[in-house]
Amino acid sequence: MDKTYILNNGILELYVLGELNRHEQQQVEDALEQYSELKTELDHIEKSFETLALQNGMHVPSSVKSALLENLSSVSPKTVPLQASTKSLNKYYIGIAASVAALLLIGLFYIYSELNTTKEQLQLAEEENIKLSDEIKNLNNDFNEIANWYITINNPNTQKYIMTGNALRPEATVVSYVNNIDKSVIINTKQLPELDDAHDYQMWADVKGEMINMGLIDTSKEMLAMTYIDDAESLNITIEPSGGNDHPTVSQLITNVYLR
Amino acid sequence: MSNENTIISRLKLKDESALADLYDKYSAALYGVIVRMCKDEGNAQIILQDTFMTIWEKPHLYDAKKGRFYTWAYRIAKNKTLNFLRKPENLIQVEDLSVYKDKTEDVTNDVDTLKLKGSIQHLDAHHQRAIELVYFNGLTHREAHKEMGVPLGTFKSYVRQALKQLQQSYVKLIVFLMLLIEITK
Repeated sequence: MDKTYILNNGILELYVLGELNRHEQQQVEDALEQYSELKTELDHIEKSFETLALQNGMHVPSSVKSALLENLSSVSPKTVPLQASTKSLNKYYIGIAASVAALLLIGLFYIYSELNTTKEQLQLAEEENIKLSDEIKNLNNDFNEIANWYITINNPNTQKYIMTGNALRPEATVVSYVNNIDKSVIINTKQLPELDDAHDYQMWADVKGEMINMGLIDTSKEMLAMTYIDDAESLNITIEPSGGNDHPTVSQLITNVYLR
Repeated sequence: MSNENTIISRLKLKDESALADLYDKYSAALYGVIVRMCKDEGNAQIILQDTFMTIWEKPHLYDAKKGRFYTWAYRIAKNKTLNFLRKPENLIQVEDLSVYKDKTEDVTNDVDTLKLKGSIQHLDAHHQRAIELVYFNGLTHREAHKEMGVPLGTFKSYVRQALKQLQQSYVKLIVFLMLLIEITK
């Protein structure tokens, strides 16, 4: 749109009245910037309309102004608290998120500690389990041993000999079970007094005047299998230095029994 | 003018007193336009308030390089009024003659209320009518020339001539006022 076209076609009037579309409006605005003459003409038209409007103004009830200003003050602070409230809303959400995160963290720590406790308990249980199974193994062994002894003792071929202590050890009593068929010797050491660390009880078999070693007596055990010696005529127990002796110390003989 | 620029700067900084100043200056003029367009004072008051709310909320849309502040405000008021009149419920009211009559009676029982005053009264009748149609009734040039039964070109020249005459009358008025001021001094 050039200057002449705008002036001759009353385009500026249409512009002031708002009758142009956006594209035409833009063209007029471009032309206005370019030609000061157009701007002057526009100003005249605007002032004419404006004066016309001012001359034909109508009284507005004062309530409209007060309502408007009231609206402003209710709208403008609203925009501030609205931002504040969104902020506080954000804060609120951040708070919730933080709480959730904290709870998750606490939960995680709880689960972690629970896991550790459980692991410890599991370890303890495993240890206990091992202990128990060891115990069972021991009990089984003991049971088997005792059962064996029982079988041995109750065997009709087994002879029972009570060996009572002499003047040297009158409180001592050892029960011996000898089976010449199975070739076994078992003794019950329950009533054999404990010795000091420097000494051990040792058992001997008398075979044709010669004392043959049947082994050391472990007093911590109630029942004990000793070495069976063929053709033994008697069983003898002596007190020997710790670890035993090759030959019996006859002066330290505490008990003996002749076999039938 | 520079005073108005200051007011608008304050308005853009969300100074409520600036809006109050603009309201004091232009509300009556805008209200005159709105009432003459919708012929209903109650709705005109709502539209006027709405117009100033838009001015308050969107002052950044006003660019002094593109025209005067009042022209901008007038366009806002005109568009709001036209939108209001285009709403279906308002069309129904217009069709219902009894309601329409009652409503118009409210406003126009005093015919003088809507009658144009001031310099325009000194114009020829067809010039007055042309201005009234496009400026106070919100018709487009295309609608208004049919209303007056004259070709569009003729109608455009009516408007231009009317404005020229108004402008001259204002100049005369200003000269008269200045003389009056000189005399009273």
